[in-house]
Amino acid sequence: MAPKPCALCTTNPAAIVRPKDRSALCKPCFFNVFETEIHHTITSTNLFTRGERIAIGASGGKDSTVLASVLKTLNERYDYGVELILLSIDEGIKGYRDDSLETVKRNAKEYGMELTILGYKELYGWTMDQVVEQVGKKGNCTYCGVFRRQALDRGAAKLGVKHVVTGHNADDVAETVLMNLLRGDLPRLSRTTSIVTSTPSSVASSTDPASHTNIKRSKPLKYAYEKEIVLYALHKNLTYFSTECIYSPEAFRGSARALIKNLERVRPSAILDVVRSGEDMAKLCPGSDEGCGGACGSNNTSAIPLAEEEEGGCGSSNGRSAGSEMANMDRQLADNEAAAENDLEVEITYHGRDGTQQKVKKTPKKIKGQAAGVVPRKTVAKQVMGKCSKCGYLSSQDVCKACTLLEGLNKNRPKNHIEVGYEEVEPIDGKKESLDLNGVTEQTQTLEIAGSG
Amino acid sequence: MPGKHIDQPIDQPCRRCKENSAVLVVRSQPLCRECFFKYVQTKTIKRLESFRVRNASPDHQRTLLLPLSFGVSSVSLLHILDCQLKTQMRKTGRTGFALHVVYVEIPGNESFISSDNLTEVKKAYPDFQYSSLPLHDVFRLSSDTALTRLCPQLNQNEDASPHEKLTGLMNSLTSATARADVLSTLTTRLIVEHAKASGCESILWGDTTTKLAEKTLSETAKGRGFSLPWQVSDGESPYGIAFHYPLRDVLKKELVSYVDLVNDPISALVCEPSTIRQASMSSKNTTIDDLMSKYFEEVEMNFPSIVSNVVRTTGKLEAVSAPASAPRCDLCSMPVPDGRFGIHGWGGDQQDGVKTIAKEGSSQLCYGCTRSIPQPSV
Repeated sequence: MAPKPCALCTTNPAAIVRPKDRSALCKPCFFNVFETEIHHTITSTNLFTRGERIAIGASGGKDSTVLASVLKTLNERYDYGVELILLSIDEGIKGYRDDSLETVKRNAKEYGMELTILGYKELYGWTMDQVVEQVGKKGNCTYCGVFRRQALDRGAAKLGVKHVVTGHNADDVAETVLMNLLRGDLPRLSRTTSIVTSTPSSVASSTDPASHTNIKRSKPLKYAYEKEIVLYALHKNLTYFSTECIYSPEAFRGSARALIKNLERVRPSAILDVVRSGEDMAKLCPGSDEGCGGACGSNNTSAIPLAEEEEGGCGSSNGRSAGSEMANMDRQLADNEAAAENDLEVEITYHGRDGTQQKVKKTPKKIKGQAAGVVPRKTVAKQVMGKCSKCGYLSSQDVCKACTLLEGLNKNRPKNHIEVGYEEVEPIDGKKESLDLNGVTEQTQTLEIAGSG
Repeated sequence: MPGKHIDQPIDQPCRRCKENSAVLVVRSQPLCRECFFKYVQTKTIKRLESFRVRNASPDHQRTLLLPLSFGVSSVSLLHILDCQLKTQMRKTGRTGFALHVVYVEIPGNESFISSDNLTEVKKAYPDFQYSSLPLHDVFRLSSDTALTRLCPQLNQNEDASPHEKLTGLMNSLTSATARADVLSTLTTRLIVEHAKASGCESILWGDTTTKLAEKTLSETAKGRGFSLPWQVSDGESPYGIAFHYPLRDVLKKELVSYVDLVNDPISALVCEPSTIRQASMSSKNTTIDDLMSKYFEEVEMNFPSIVSNVVRTTGKLEAVSAPASAPRCDLCSMPVPDGRFGIHGWGGDQQDGVKTIAKEGSSQLCYGCTRSIPQPSV
């Protein structure tokens, strides 16, 4: 049997079944369709402006590698007139980033793009390995996510760049929509589908070019399927580093991810359909009048302000669910339910100190915004964005999440400033551990001195 | 798995009455049989406050419609309401409302639900009015001709019987998900039309917490996020009739236990195709609805509060106010905000140049319905 001809050019034999709609295409047509769709996303949302300097958040993974390759192609083909550079964050996870950063370096050379690598260590004084050592594997993704978000902005500010693009794809967005439904997080649900997120300029009072409070974030691959990204990388022979974060389990995301994959199997358009639903639901979230979810197209000036704790997940946990996250939330919700119920309808009896039984009618109390029974529609207070009093980063709280987390970390860390002096004599990776040991010894000595004093 | 919960007696007294021994654990409380019945009854009746006797005028009987599918939930709801109405009668000499029961004959369900099932239900609950409607009646009852336009050309002429139209429409669909989706949409519309025609002021749907959570995620996956608030909330629906979900605070697994424990008469009346659906879980016959119901079966077992939280969260979405004149989808009849019909003309549609303006006389379908019944692009 002769191979099926490509559904688009009808001349070449089809080589690829498009995951998005199962149409059979030849390689060139697939590349063209894939690139054109991203071009369409960029132009229909007026994502770029001529002369703009744009940093690509590059992890060395498939998404950011394909993003860099496609943006380079499109920038040349359609003459966007933008300058593209690569920005990588080194979380300091041994065996994960070390290798993927090599990939980024290779890509930088190949695409002729400037590359900056910024480490958690130099930004926050902690590598992720050290964080995990301190807090354990449970909940460390929170730290990583919070730190990463700020890290990209700080990196961009350092480079004088006002726009960072990330490799979030349609699967990631769909997954986040379902995850936020499962977690019952409407404010985040209303933000995740938006193509552009940025820190509002109103708080960026300073005209300081290095200010990291007014940086635009966007996801040009928002409508691109993960499977197509993989196919594109494969057939274009792009080198990317494929590994999962070794600390990754995040139950909600894992559960949502598995569900998305199953949905895609049943109906390939489902991923896109979830994204569409997410955009539409953003408009229905209480108090989110700006939540157009990118659907308002040309009217792109109203970017969605993004809270600092956004995009907590690293998106690489592949359906592995530790379950504890869901179990914890379930327990907490059950407690709330029970409390709400008791408050509203049960007289609680307890034994007084003298052994007599007393009846106490508790006054109904709202628990975490959830009251049982019929309650009129609540208006959710809008987040008011200000600046962190410590680092100046955008925050809805007085102190931003990263600083809060850091404070917690630093409180439990022995004061070992002396260690810093050793960093300069740390030329070879392999020697790092022994040097760390020295650091510890040094620490102990310091503590002993402090103790005797 | 009848009797699953009773097989292992719980060696504890009932947390509520403190007298009888518990027969099952409900939301971490050991309960005896009686207290569990009270729990289910109270949770359900609480959602129907506005239909209490004191709200019913003596010279006008309010009528509510209960669609019966013979599943655990709708049969339980029937039983619960029957108990409630009997209690009202005993206490006040009258009832807050009268109940109409409707069964929709869905093609494919004849194999396990026959007219005998309805006869049995009538015998068990003789106080209500019953009707049984074939699904194709939707083409007869619904006054708008838009539905007919969705049928293949062949079945659109005037002498085509409603039955032929339905068969034609179903045969034109290309996936199990689309067929299930269109069937349930048409069923809803028929029930609405029937409720209006028989003077009912509200429809009491049998959806449990679990079902509503399933619906939330499965409608999201089908691209109907825009109409979610209309599909899961109590009160006036865009169909011009009120919807109520009295079982909204009860989990599906709780009703399964309820049916087991009440036993006579309801366990014999329940007729669920659960075994049939399990069989087709792996093949291409799996639907999005199947997927979600399987997913939430697991979540319900391990994290029941997350199920309720999904429903509570969806309840907080605010429906856009839709004027009566708002453009509507030809299939699901939901108002489509800003007339955004079809799957084209949004950010995620990447085919530039596809005309989105509908031809004169062609169908206008919302995003979700277009996925089920693809429209030829102009």
